[in-house]
Amino acid sequence: MTDKPFEGWRLSRRAFLEAAATAGVAMAAVPLHLNAADAPVALHKYQPEFLNVDEWAFVMAATARLIPSEGEGPGARETRVPVFIDRQLAGKYGAATDWYMQGPYDPSASPDRGYQTPLTPAQLYRQGIKAVNVWCEKRHGKTFADLDAPIQDETLTSLQNGRLVLVPELSWFFSVLLANTREGYFADPKYGGNHGMQAWVYIGFPGARASFKEWAMQYNKPYPLGPVSIAGKRA
Amino acid sequence: MARKAPKKDAVIVGLGWTGSILGMELASAGLDVLALERGEDRETVPNFQYPNEMDELKYAVRYELMQKPANSTLTIRRTLDEVALPYRKLGSFLPGIGVGGAGVHWNGRTWRPQPEELRLHSYVTEKFGQKTIPDGMFLQDYPVTYAELEPYFDRFERMAAISGKAGNINGKIIDGGDPFEGPRSRDYAMPPLPSTYDASLFAKAAKAMGCHPFPQPASIASQSYVNEYGMQLGPCSFCGFCERYGCYNYSKGSPQTCILDALKRKPNFAYKVKVEVLRVDLAADKKTATGVTYFDHTTGEEVFQPADIVLLCAFQLHNVHLMLLSGIGKPYDPATGEGVTGRSYAYQTEGGLTMFMPDHTFNPFVGTGATDVVITDYTTNRIDLGREGFIGGSSISAGTTNGQPIHSLPLPSDTPTWGKGWKKAIKQWYGHSMSIGSQGSCMAYRDCYLDLDPTYKDHFGRPLMRMTFNWQDNDLRMTQFMRKKIEAIAASMKPAVMQSSFKDKGAMYDVRPYQTTHTVGGAIMGADPKSSALNRYLQSHDVHNVFVMGAGAFPQNIQFNPTGLLGGLAYWSAHAIRTDYLRNPRDLS
Amino acid sequence: MKSFLRILGGVIVVILIAIALIIWVPAQRTSAKALDLPTSDITAARGAYVARAANCEDCHTGPGRKAYSGGLTVASPFGTIYSTNITPDKQYGIGDYSLDDFRAALYDGVRKNGTRLYPAMPYENYRLLSEADVESLYRYYMDEVKPVHDQPPQTHLAFPFNQRLGVRVWDWLALKNPRFKPPTDNPQINRGAYLVQALGHCAACHSPRNWLMASNGIRDEDAKYLTGGKVDGRAVPPLRGKDSVTTRWSQTQIAQYLATGRNAYTGAAGDMTSVVGNSLQHLSYDDIMAMSAYLKYLDAGTTEASAHSNDVPTKTQAMLTAANPSTPLGARLYLDNCDGCHFANGLGAPGVFPTLDGNPTVTAASATSLIETILYGAAMPSTQLRPERFRMPGFAWRLDDHDVATLATFLRQGWNNHASAVTAGQVAALRHKEAKPPLKSDERNAGRADQARAGR
Repeated sequence: MTDKPFEGWRLSRRAFLEAAATAGVAMAAVPLHLNAADAPVALHKYQPEFLNVDEWAFVMAATARLIPSEGEGPGARETRVPVFIDRQLAGKYGAATDWYMQGPYDPSASPDRGYQTPLTPAQLYRQGIKAVNVWCEKRHGKTFADLDAPIQDETLTSLQNGRLVLVPELSWFFSVLLANTREGYFADPKYGGNHGMQAWVYIGFPGARASFKEWAMQYNKPYPLGPVSIAGKRA
Repeated sequence: MARKAPKKDAVIVGLGWTGSILGMELASAGLDVLALERGEDRETVPNFQYPNEMDELKYAVRYELMQKPANSTLTIRRTLDEVALPYRKLGSFLPGIGVGGAGVHWNGRTWRPQPEELRLHSYVTEKFGQKTIPDGMFLQDYPVTYAELEPYFDRFERMAAISGKAGNINGKIIDGGDPFEGPRSRDYAMPPLPSTYDASLFAKAAKAMGCHPFPQPASIASQSYVNEYGMQLGPCSFCGFCERYGCYNYSKGSPQTCILDALKRKPNFAYKVKVEVLRVDLAADKKTATGVTYFDHTTGEEVFQPADIVLLCAFQLHNVHLMLLSGIGKPYDPATGEGVTGRSYAYQTEGGLTMFMPDHTFNPFVGTGATDVVITDYTTNRIDLGREGFIGGSSISAGTTNGQPIHSLPLPSDTPTWGKGWKKAIKQWYGHSMSIGSQGSCMAYRDCYLDLDPTYKDHFGRPLMRMTFNWQDNDLRMTQFMRKKIEAIAASMKPAVMQSSFKDKGAMYDVRPYQTTHTVGGAIMGADPKSSALNRYLQSHDVHNVFVMGAGAFPQNIQFNPTGLLGGLAYWSAHAIRTDYLRNPRDLS
Repeated sequence: MKSFLRILGGVIVVILIAIALIIWVPAQRTSAKALDLPTSDITAARGAYVARAANCEDCHTGPGRKAYSGGLTVASPFGTIYSTNITPDKQYGIGDYSLDDFRAALYDGVRKNGTRLYPAMPYENYRLLSEADVESLYRYYMDEVKPVHDQPPQTHLAFPFNQRLGVRVWDWLALKNPRFKPPTDNPQINRGAYLVQALGHCAACHSPRNWLMASNGIRDEDAKYLTGGKVDGRAVPPLRGKDSVTTRWSQTQIAQYLATGRNAYTGAAGDMTSVVGNSLQHLSYDDIMAMSAYLKYLDAGTTEASAHSNDVPTKTQAMLTAANPSTPLGARLYLDNCDGCHFANGLGAPGVFPTLDGNPTVTAASATSLIETILYGAAMPSTQLRPERFRMPGFAWRLDDHDVATLATFLRQGWNNHASAVTAGQVAALRHKEAKPPLKSDERNAGRADQARAGR
């Protein structure tokens, strides 16, 4: 039973400023050949399929720290990683459709025993975000999304190294969040992330071209041509 | 009550590499053959077509072509006192499914074992003494020799379109090939694939250190090719989407490119998809099988398929599971040391080293599944096992297979895993790293085995199979030996940063990261029915009309990828069935 | 004025007499030719082979229907024609046909009841069949083919084309002498000529048609014979003359193409997929060699263009290999869509991926086939010698009209090719209204694969 997103949503000043900045940055980073019809919904207007208001705010904020906008190269915001995550959680992946989810469970098993929580990724996010926000409220009086960036970083570090203690069922939360963030950054744009193939352009990965017979023996020469997506868009 | 289908001469469980080979061999002999595949049908177009196949998230990260654990999985524990827990999501190994099986998404690396590996027990005891064999290791000779299998290796290699350079043709050592391999009757059918930049650097460095580098033999066509069935492959485009993907341009060897269109033309061959074999049905005296019972996922009905011969051609794990569920062979019990089904499960011992070289530009996305340059200077038949204190060996190789950014973006180990530092590092290092790896043997042990889990069940209510496996001292010593060799070669290449990842004493089997899908054993071949499930023709010692293909037959794992050996064994077994078993069905031992 | 009326009256009377003759004079049937085989050789088994060579099944078996029960739609310029049930069913097939009735259908395009067949049935070409082939076929259809008690859809063309009497007039104008004339003293070439002209009825597609839509080249002495035609608006390549593949390919390459649907240069696509898949792959080695010998004979003396070796990389190859960001759009589209199989040198791989450099389908005067291949892909047939059903996927979903036009132009002008540019309008005209037309395939062999999968 998911909460309905964007009912009674209030735009906080901070979120508004961030959204405006994101929209500006996103539009600037988009390659010129994308016409108006391709321009997607701005992140602050995006209607999530799975995440509720608070969860969306968390994912926006957390992914923006995991892959920040500052410095060379796009961040999670510019590449629309939160959209990717939302869509993944709404689908097969979020429901762990492909995984063996029968009990009994031993969520306290050591990590090298693999994924042993009864929770699906969707449930991991739902409960994990709640737990992290509770922790942040207790410590700092605000939810994660409202914290300043350095405190957010501190929180994520604590989550990663276990200082932020969660119940064993949630022990996979951070690694799943981090993995999904990277996936959203680098996957083909058809999944909602890697907007405009910016991540591929940044590192020099040619995307779906997959044809390099004549380059096998070109040694120590950087391959110059930009990427193409499965849909055929060029960057 | 299962509906009874009309009898077939032979029923094949699983339509992957060995199912396709046995299907072709038996249909060509005039048998009425039915293959049962529990996955979907698969054809190059539309299932692997360009550009839709070029989807890292779908195929490499979400494992679209692999067996879904929700439908079929096992439990895993490391030691006898652990409780086995389910392998809930894919990690360490990736079993295939669907027509073509793992033959669709493998990387094409195709090897023969060294002759010594097929008689490893004799080799070790003769050369180094019985005391070399540690307590708890099960070391056995294969009941078939390299010389006997040589024509069948050749047949498989020609059918599966191997590109490579022979190093030993009838005893003559050829420059540029593997000088330590067993003798071949002739060269490969196609010249080797060109080496990428990183592989060429490794080749130079290895040669300078006195090693003998050669190109990896690959079931990946380097030019247009036609095999004995008239099936064809085109040259590889170095697309960088090989392992975990079906091949979009008909250049990787698979049942689809090498056998199936020819096989489907035979009026006496038929196959069904989305039908799952639940068990092999045995006669009352359990000495023969009467057929198999399967569940049809499309119609929802259970069907009994009678047959004169049953071929288990599913993936190794699933073959053993079926044998356990069907009562073929006495289940192995480590407490007593008795029983054969499930005995001697083994894996593969790997390690690697990554080098970061800012002055070199590699295009990591330019690659095939098998673009390595390899040295076999530290393989089993090259090592003084007595002096080094382990039994086994490894090949060592370097060569990029892909540069897919989600799962193939190596970074120095002190790189932050997220944040500004991570983002800077990915740009700094993408295209400026390469690795050298070792892949080697894994012996069989008393406490590494397969049986039925006492707790967890599949959606048919059948018990899952339970794997008990951990790394053992012998193989850990071997991999540390390889580490030293690799670090020496790597150091000579003067990388800016070098980091090793080799398991050491006390390492516990971690099911999370992908390691290799070379799970072997559990239905091993041997001369003695007390210590093996199959005889030298892959025929069950206990149920003479059941033949079990695949790497389950390996008494201990070889140093190399298993497909070349299991492919040769499949043709060898098919030959015995056609020329001997069919005219007089009986135990052929 | 009076003499004018008299002349007019005379003309009208002549016309009325002609109409009366057309309606009431019984259909003329071409008489039997001399039988040149002993009767004991006229067997149903021989007829089965002849049926394969004549490819009756391809037209007379509609999709999903039983063999020879008709129902295939043939889109003609005059409307949709449905093929007929030619099984020996007495009610819906030809079960009540005598040998003379059967011969008349093949030679004259006349049914037992005297009505005319539309020349979608290539009786223009089958007229050349030998008596032995006609009688063997008759034995095959009467004795071996299973009767199918099922009436396929009936053809109803719009006026005036539904007036089959008009066909009689057409026949009178169009049909030529039914005698097959062996062109040489060489039995192999003569056999090849017979296979191409009569059984193979290659001229039905590969020769042009005149204003009457009658074939303009049934046999070698006709000037326009096998100089290329048009089917479904698509150009059909010539099989002789300086632009034809038969001058460029060796006899062996021609034979390989006929028997397996692929050779060092290209693969069968479009209608040839089913021609090879259902008919040619079943011909004997001798017959395939005869046909290829005959096709080479037609252009005897014409020097063969050397097989492409491409030792000197063309500018196109260099540009594609460089993969510069400044690569113009056509080449860029090539790298993003085609290069994976056809490679930077445009040569593909012999027997597997067709060459684009020097491929007549790419450089034909009409770009229709090329555009359709880019949009919808192609499929080689599965044959006995070469069973692999290579398929090229279509790119209609990925490329818009402008992209396809730019890419097609690039192909037609890249490497050593010199052909006209393609416009977006040309592409738009070829986009199908349905989401995706079926990939042309050898349906009978696809059926075999489906049967295999059904696990009979």
